[in-house]
Amino acid sequence: MAVDWLNPYHLQVASFVLINTLLGVSIYVTLATGQLSLGNAGFMSIGAYTTAILTTRHGFPMPAGIVAGSVVAALAGIAVGIPSLRLTGVYLAIATLGFGEVVRVVFVNWESLTGGAVGIAAIPQMGRELLASLRDAGFAPESIGLRGNQFISLSVFLILFASTLCAIGFFFRLGSSRVGRAYAAVRMDERAAEAAGIDTTYYKVLAFTQGAMLSGFAGALFAHATSYISPADFTYHRAVEILVFAVFGGSEHLLGPVFGAMLLTALPELLRSVSDYRYIVYGILLIAMMVFRPQGLIDPPLVNRLAGKKAAGGGSRDAA
Amino acid sequence: MLEVRGLETAYGSIRAIKGIDLAVPEGRIVCIIGANGAGKTTLLKTISGLLRPAAGTVTFLGEDITALSPAQLVRRGIVLVPEGRAILSRMTVLENLEMGAYQRRDGRVREDIEATMERFPVLKERRNLAGGSLSGGEQQMLAIGRALLAKPNLLLLDEPSLGLAPLIVSRVFRIIREINREGMTVLLVEQNVRQALKVSDYAYVLETGKIVHEGPSPELLDDPKIKESYLGGRRP
Repeated sequence: MAVDWLNPYHLQVASFVLINTLLGVSIYVTLATGQLSLGNAGFMSIGAYTTAILTTRHGFPMPAGIVAGSVVAALAGIAVGIPSLRLTGVYLAIATLGFGEVVRVVFVNWESLTGGAVGIAAIPQMGRELLASLRDAGFAPESIGLRGNQFISLSVFLILFASTLCAIGFFFRLGSSRVGRAYAAVRMDERAAEAAGIDTTYYKVLAFTQGAMLSGFAGALFAHATSYISPADFTYHRAVEILVFAVFGGSEHLLGPVFGAMLLTALPELLRSVSDYRYIVYGILLIAMMVFRPQGLIDPPLVNRLAGKKAAGGGSRDAA
Repeated sequence: MLEVRGLETAYGSIRAIKGIDLAVPEGRIVCIIGANGAGKTTLLKTISGLLRPAAGTVTFLGEDITALSPAQLVRRGIVLVPEGRAILSRMTVLENLEMGAYQRRDGRVREDIEATMERFPVLKERRNLAGGSLSGGEQQMLAIGRALLAKPNLLLLDEPSLGLAPLIVSRVFRIIREINREGMTVLLVEQNVRQALKVSDYAYVLETGKIVHEGPSPELLDDPKIKESYLGGRRP
């Protein structure tokens, strides 16, 4: 009586959708202060490699590895964020893109630690680990009508779903908090924010660090969802992909990149026939967006309209 | 209250202000006047922490504040209304006012916002409109209102008359005097020399980064040299 419609493949696609959603939120967080960082693929790889190395070589339990991956990525975020304060706009984008490439090249060449271009295999997989410990406790997934691999994929999906929900919830709350107001002010007019007594340096570095930490978290989850990582997972394409989530979905509301990530990750899988042309479709979509809806699909007025709220003179409370 | 000694600020190798001494006594309006490029805004930016001086000191209530950031100065009660007003254009009027009180932790912000709106009724009318949709004069009121919500001891105003119609300019200056009567100390930088001298108690004249003249404002208003250079008067 297995639940046949619960297809591990579809669950895996859904899991990647969730990881990309986290990455979409991560680029949004830095964008919320008006900084365009393309280094999130780099921070993601730092999170992934940190937990992969700690769990496979040093016997760390998986949750500790994931936390360590996020923290190391956050520290890297501070280290990159502070010197980047002098840069704005396209210069910041180029510098952070360069940072991502530097990280990748380090991972390719530091073979003794990272396995070089081959990457790291046999990383504990969260679903499998969970199943193993439940079996030890005498639980069999068959008892609830699930095959072993269905249970594994389902639990990965559920763990990622809960993590993503927490992250979105956290940053949604942040948007209407003191910190969120400061971010919005810095994004709108740094001079005005400074005049109002907001420590713009602090909030810019904070946003940068939060973005890096979330990317590292997503990377660590990615490592434990796929159980295999290599530098090829974190190339320039990944950085651009994350950017496209924000450009396509919209960067002025948290739900923009979330929606962008979901749609753009799920779409090629739903339309298998065009998945070979994914980057062509991306390019066409981007050009179309620039022409017809430069602010992205989702912007604060749209969210307000959907929520049935009246927009306040072009600006709105959640326009963080 | 505020004392500036030997202040020098440079952009690269170009010294924009070259050794300035000035004092702002408590409860007064002091103005700095001068032509374009004289260094007025540079001076104000240096005092408010946006620029770092190459030499000299700024002391406020006896404390050396020379190297402090704008956020730290706001905490000490020095608030700048920047040139061009710097309204958060996509936040509402109300949200702009709230941002002014960003550093305050006391529970009286609501009442103060209401009081500010009583002072500037136009802001009350437009409280839910985006700051960017206001006219220049209204934006200036909003900028001043926002600055007052930080509860400053010293208000720095950078060219509040910039780009405003003459009628609005006199209203802005009336408000400045009103705020001063309620006890606020004001340091004002202006190109509108006549209005600035009328409203202030003491004035410094800045030329190419140096103070070339200073004195009580009514005296400067009658000074033939000032008249000739800044007020469009003729040599007799």
